[in-house]
Amino acid sequence: MRLFFALVIVFLYAPIAILLVFSFNKAVVPSFPLSGFTLRWYREFVHNGSMRSALEASAIVAALSSVVAVSLGILASVALARRGFLGKSLVTALLLSPLVIPFVVLGIAMLLLFHVLGVSPSLLTVGAGHIVISLPYTILVLLPRLEQIDASLAEAAYDLGAGPFRTFRWVTFPLILPAIVSAFLIAFTTSFDEYAVASFLVGPRETFPIFLYGALRFPSQLPQVIAVAVVILCGSLLVVIGAEVWRRRAEARIEAA
Amino acid sequence: MEGEPFDRRLSRADMLRLAALAAGAGVVAGPAAAADAAVARLTKESGRLQVMDWVGYENDMPHHAMFAAYLNKHPHNKPLFSHMASESDALGKFHAGAHPDLFRPYVGWVKYFAKSGLVQPWNPKLISNFKHLNPFMVKAGQYHGKQYGIPDDWGFDAILYRKDKVHPKARSWGLIFDERYKGKIAWFDDIGMITVAGLYLKAKNPWNQTSAELDRSVKFLKQKIKLTKLLWAYESDLWQAFRAGDVWIAYAWPNDWVQMKKKFPVVYMHPREKPVAWVGMFMLLKNTPRPHLAHAYVDAWSSKKSGKWLEDNYGYGHANTQARPSSSQLLKALQLANPRAVTLPNAYLDRDIPQRALYAHLWEQVKASG
Amino acid sequence: MSWLVLFFVVPIAIVGAYSVDVFVLFPGPHGFTIAPWRTFFSHGDYFPLFVKSIEMSLSVSAVVVALAYPLAYYLALSGTRRKYVLLLILIAPFLTSYLLRVLAWKVILGSQGVINTFFFWTGLRAEGHPLSFLLYSRFAVVLVLGYVWLPFVALPIFVTLESLDRRLLEAASDLYASRLQAFLRITLPLSLPGVVAAFLFVFIPTVGEFVTPSLVGGTSGYMYGNQIVDLFQTGFPDWETGAVLALFLLAVILALTLVFVRFLRVGEARPT
Repeated sequence: MRLFFALVIVFLYAPIAILLVFSFNKAVVPSFPLSGFTLRWYREFVHNGSMRSALEASAIVAALSSVVAVSLGILASVALARRGFLGKSLVTALLLSPLVIPFVVLGIAMLLLFHVLGVSPSLLTVGAGHIVISLPYTILVLLPRLEQIDASLAEAAYDLGAGPFRTFRWVTFPLILPAIVSAFLIAFTTSFDEYAVASFLVGPRETFPIFLYGALRFPSQLPQVIAVAVVILCGSLLVVIGAEVWRRRAEARIEAA
Repeated sequence: MEGEPFDRRLSRADMLRLAALAAGAGVVAGPAAAADAAVARLTKESGRLQVMDWVGYENDMPHHAMFAAYLNKHPHNKPLFSHMASESDALGKFHAGAHPDLFRPYVGWVKYFAKSGLVQPWNPKLISNFKHLNPFMVKAGQYHGKQYGIPDDWGFDAILYRKDKVHPKARSWGLIFDERYKGKIAWFDDIGMITVAGLYLKAKNPWNQTSAELDRSVKFLKQKIKLTKLLWAYESDLWQAFRAGDVWIAYAWPNDWVQMKKKFPVVYMHPREKPVAWVGMFMLLKNTPRPHLAHAYVDAWSSKKSGKWLEDNYGYGHANTQARPSSSQLLKALQLANPRAVTLPNAYLDRDIPQRALYAHLWEQVKASG
Repeated sequence: MSWLVLFFVVPIAIVGAYSVDVFVLFPGPHGFTIAPWRTFFSHGDYFPLFVKSIEMSLSVSAVVVALAYPLAYYLALSGTRRKYVLLLILIAPFLTSYLLRVLAWKVILGSQGVINTFFFWTGLRAEGHPLSFLLYSRFAVVLVLGYVWLPFVALPIFVTLESLDRRLLEAASDLYASRLQAFLRITLPLSLPGVVAAFLFVFIPTVGEFVTPSLVGGTSGYMYGNQIVDLFQTGFPDWETGAVLALFLLAVILALTLVFVRFLRVGEARPT
């Protein structure tokens, strides 16, 4: 059994290892045999203007769409966590529906929608697409946490005369903060690496995955892209591990209180 | 100004100011010249030049070789690039509201765009390198006598094969349909395959086949697609597969021969049914606020120096007849010594496809049956 | 509540988008017409392509779930303290770019890639006779898609298994049931909803996949999603046929989802 697990890990990490190896490889096209060690790509990617622009664009889209998705997710989860209201299951289904829609259909539907509305494709339309994709994930993270929270805490606040907004601000919100952070991270990483929907909705300014797809076809920039990806991988690993550790500690502390 | 194929709308206030300037300047320099200069100052084009081009043409390091001359003359109007994945992608983007100043479809689309009302003709007098451009290509960029397309890069569609593995039965397009090499063939992912099938099956006009001929071509392609390993859309896809030995025969461009020759014994075969020649055409969008800048950009692209750089770095031909690459092999593959290389009897220059929507539809069906 | 109004905007945008899809099928000059639908069903090629994509997605989903289950089982029920760390290790590859992971597979599967080079080196295959089905084939698409979805699928199964009531298993062993019997009679049935959810979770996006097939599929790995993308982006825009294909896909998937959700509800309602 342990052997099986180990084999799966090898399978999962083989391509990552390949990427790591080729980020130090001298040749431009990744193929064997290897041509020699170099740190050149790591130095060069910093100067690649169009890649930097694409990274920036992706970061902006990811940040904005995540903030909106998480905000909407909070609103939705708060409403869904209450006792049933008319049409609750329909609303839930609608909100979670992007999960069951293939990206190609979603991308096209939104493209057509924007076309009819007369909105030209741009980073905003990509952001809108990403909000639609991320929202179900944020709800799936926030809703269980909200349901977990002892309802009596909120009731106590009401008894003490706090209105719904104050209750949320001072009672609910701090309790779900770790989940909010998780939701934000999930939304961010989903958006940052998203290619399929973005390919339909992108305007003149490219996002990083779109730039990457182009680099696959025009290999002169490929090694730099691989180097960037390795850097992003390490960075995100640190962030995710850090966030997860913090979340567990924070929730444990909250539960203990 | 009469004769100018594009004019800026001037407001009434502008007109008055123009008249005053003209009156003043006219005393010194003569009316026509003064008016010209005045208009040029007033209608000074500003902002970055919006260029829509295929992926990969914007970097051209070092120093943006293809349009370095433009950058020197107009440092404040650096080009801002957007991408077109294909001509139909560009078309879709125009309908979705994109307004670049110029873009670069290929010769088969010139008539379509000229008729579409989306573009306006160029003024060749504003392009100093125009006189050096290959006359056959220049003619292909004309519609109803107006110069809608300025040719830039060009090449052939022919067959590349490894002579150590492949022994063709004839010097013919049939090689990419050869049953003996199942799984080792690569086609180009484009409706040009229907044209080539038509050429091979002796349709009267492969670019405008009758429904019977189309039926035959499409049936043929659906049957033969099972022999292919992949359909390539970018040369690097083809090179990767070819280099790895996954593919031995391919529908290919001259540069593919030059590149693969470095590793394998390969032949670039011009079939007896004749290869097809393709030419990139700059086209100017209507109502662009920067027509002069656009002409300047195209002029920079059309220079001999840019031409040579293009040939050396991309392996395509360049329309400037004086541009010669460093590689003698490329020179040979492009038949650059022959100014009639892109036209009969050497090749069929690609042209408008009146039933393009139908061809595209049918090609999708061919791919679906793969 | 005013909150409700706010978050209705998003789902309505989605629904609006689909109705526009339908709307595009009846564009102005042609008026109301079902011609594109008739073409879709009658013209021999679209429907078989759809079936081919369904087959490929089923293969991917089945293989992935079959691999993920033992993985999740090991993690959830083995009682190791470091299970969350191991879970994190499982998920970490996700933090690399999807496109680059697919590219890496090209390097591994090619005729001169890692696998074939290994075979040449060990003499299992003669030089010059590589395994050519590894890349630019259906196999490559199924393998790479399976690779991409494996961590995603392990997660819901893990969650289901983790929340299994251990006392049931203890009771089973008290009653002298073997490990295998306990598994077949208790663990498996109770985890089935999670497995079905996981299966759906992979199956649905995979049917519409177009990125991986375009990179490693070659001619034979061409999928339904690629056709939709082509109709919108290349050749010559044919949004009508593209919309028909997309709507058909959506309809089938919604139908399947409803069936499975029904199944899950029924499963939950059954008394333990």
